Amino acid sequence: MGKADVVPTPGVSSDTPAFDAVVVGAGPAGSATALALARAGRSVVLVERGPFPGSKNVYGGVVYGRVLDEVVPGWWNEVPVERWVVRRSTMMMTGTQSLAVDYRSAAWGEAPYNGMTTVRSRFDNWLATKAVEAGAQLVTSTVATGLLRDGHGRIVGVRTDRDQGELRANVVVACDGVNSLLAKEAGLMAPAEASHHTLGVKEVLDLPGHVIDERFGLRRDEGVDIEMLGCTRGIPGGGFLYTNSDTVSLGVVLSLPHLAEAKVRPEELIADLKNHPSVAPYLRGATLREYAAHLIPEGGYDTMPTMVTDGMLVAGDAAAMTLAAGLWLEGVNFAIGSGLAAGRAVDRAIAAGDCSAKGLASYRSDLEGQFVLADHKRFRKAPALVLSERIQQRYPGLICDLVDGMFTVTNPVPKPGGVRLTRSVAAKHGVKLRQLAADTVRALRVFG
Amino acid sequence: MDDIRPGPMVVACIRITDLRPQIEPLSGTVVREPWSTGLSPPDAAALEYSFRIAEAWSGHVVVITAAPPSADAVLRDARALGATVLRIAVGSPSSDQAYMDDLGSDERAMAGMIVAALAPFGRPSLVVCGDRSSDRGTGALPAFLAHELGAAQALGLVAITTTDQESMVVAERRLDGGWRERLHVPCPAVCSVEGAGVRLRRASLTATLAAQRTEIPQVTAAGGPGTTRGTHPGGPAEVVVGPGRPFRPRTRVVPAPDGDDPRLRLLALTGALVAHDPPTVVGPIDAAGAADALLAFLIRHGYLDTEPVGEEAATEGTR
Repeated sequence: MGKADVVPTPGVSSDTPAFDAVVVGAGPAGSATALALARAGRSVVLVERGPFPGSKNVYGGVVYGRVLDEVVPGWWNEVPVERWVVRRSTMMMTGTQSLAVDYRSAAWGEAPYNGMTTVRSRFDNWLATKAVEAGAQLVTSTVATGLLRDGHGRIVGVRTDRDQGELRANVVVACDGVNSLLAKEAGLMAPAEASHHTLGVKEVLDLPGHVIDERFGLRRDEGVDIEMLGCTRGIPGGGFLYTNSDTVSLGVVLSLPHLAEAKVRPEELIADLKNHPSVAPYLRGATLREYAAHLIPEGGYDTMPTMVTDGMLVAGDAAAMTLAAGLWLEGVNFAIGSGLAAGRAVDRAIAAGDCSAKGLASYRSDLEGQFVLADHKRFRKAPALVLSERIQQRYPGLICDLVDGMFTVTNPVPKPGGVRLTRSVAAKHGVKLRQLAADTVRALRVFG
Repeated sequence: MDDIRPGPMVVACIRITDLRPQIEPLSGTVVREPWSTGLSPPDAAALEYSFRIAEAWSGHVVVITAAPPSADAVLRDARALGATVLRIAVGSPSSDQAYMDDLGSDERAMAGMIVAALAPFGRPSLVVCGDRSSDRGTGALPAFLAHELGAAQALGLVAITTTDQESMVVAERRLDGGWRERLHVPCPAVCSVEGAGVRLRRASLTATLAAQRTEIPQVTAAGGPGTTRGTHPGGPAEVVVGPGRPFRPRTRVVPAPDGDDPRLRLLALTGALVAHDPPTVVGPIDAAGAADALLAFLIRHGYLDTEPVGEEAATEGTR
């Protein structure tokens, strides 16, 4: 159904349950929305298509919980954590080389902590339980199949796949993920463009906890997050490795059009990564537990959909909230942040008696006033830079060869000077110093 | 406790388990997660058969389980379907592990507790259980229940149907070679069913939301083996096998749905408002074959035109 398709919905009965809000999708964004609304005293139904929140989730990253400080004080005492990330490593790689910048902080291993690895089925359920405890109604195993509209085309609820399955509400909040069918039906989201998405592919590998501790230099509940560049055969993207309690998540994130063009299967790239000399020793003896893949909306600020229409707004991945800005790859905290803002906006709109797009407009201004859209706006050029040809295909090898030239002892040949070495390595990789300088300036502008 | 209703009582005696248990790799300890508890396929089938039989008899369904509070979500779903529900509190309320240890220790005692808990509802005409559970169940509980109730028993069934008389059901059980035996089971009886052949119906959204607001009645464990045994002069009636030789059910053709509205045809075909479709395996096939299969699916269900147009028609053969 398109934006202009505003015909009255037949069969919308007045006796279906009426709520202040219906939230579709019990991921972090949906549960945060429901939590904010329930705490504001609003009646809210949280509709989840899986048998429990998080049941279909294949996420395998780091969750940064600072956003929870104000809504669940002391959340770290109860959240289902796998490991607290105390090491963050960024690795530039070629097929046989790697250069890692490794940062470790003891403070990250203590309250209030910085980031954690978690199993999303447990995390999502924990957050949804918070919403239910606050008064939200959670309905699982139920698919929102479409929007209900009144005679003026205004969205007044959702239709589900259950009998008597119409839910009428003042506002619908679509938190139904990267391929949001409701946002598309509402005309808020343009047809998906492959170039705005990446494919995340992940293996979860079993490894005893004490072996993970020894190999990664960790203790007890400490964890590591390794982000990798140059491990995808030139396909724009990157790799990642996260430690869980007794598993390791290893995977790649790949530009969809380039992956299709390369005619390479993603599992081949994961196999490459597992066999890389810098990664293989970590994983020796590990056995495969799970394999999963998922689309990620990495287009950033410039590809976000319209967020509000009469009677509806979108949050989380449905609003392309994942921040993929090279050094930063964050999603769950942005989903929670947008969900909380959505809840506040809906509460304000209902209190004002205006749930039109105008009444819900405070959602966007709220997001712009906090990290969610501020960070996206600041790094709006980052996706294009990070996925550019030189960053992806030339600089990892250039940097590794530069370091190789510096530290390989070539006696009796004298050591090369830094400028000469840089010139020769840049030439070897087809990069002019002028381009190098230009990219440096561009990077400073993007990230500065 | 819910109101005691008139009419024959069909009891679904179910076991609510963690459907996705985690195993500690070093110790082998089973870690149960309250949020992933649910019905195993045999227990779901038992519940569905209970509803079907109760409908045929104009009776009502009582769902009973011995479980910790984490089972309440499943019981609310059963309540949304119209059943009276009852949970026997066993183990420690704070520990699902203790529940599991308690439950696995003595199934005969458990049968006594269940029969004692059912006593206020009257004597069940039929008790339906799943034929096995995924967490340490031995499959012996239905037999113990039959013993406690003094009822006939027919275990490991693939189908239960009603007859003209409420004192009898007809059941089918698998035999080797694709054959089945047909059993005439006199009531009261205890039957256990495989997790096959039927899908548990889904409650309406209205009923689901209403059920969420209700408390689940809970009784503490009481009774024990032999304390509640049914009294039937001469013991339970016998199950009759037959008549004649085993039978082999015929395959049946499912007609294509009628109508012009693709959405309605799709709903009719998939039963989307009744139950979810299982996944379909179409491979392994190559990429072109997979694309063709997807297109064929979309055309079949009305999402695409049946006839390719323009250039697509010209190039269809080379796709």
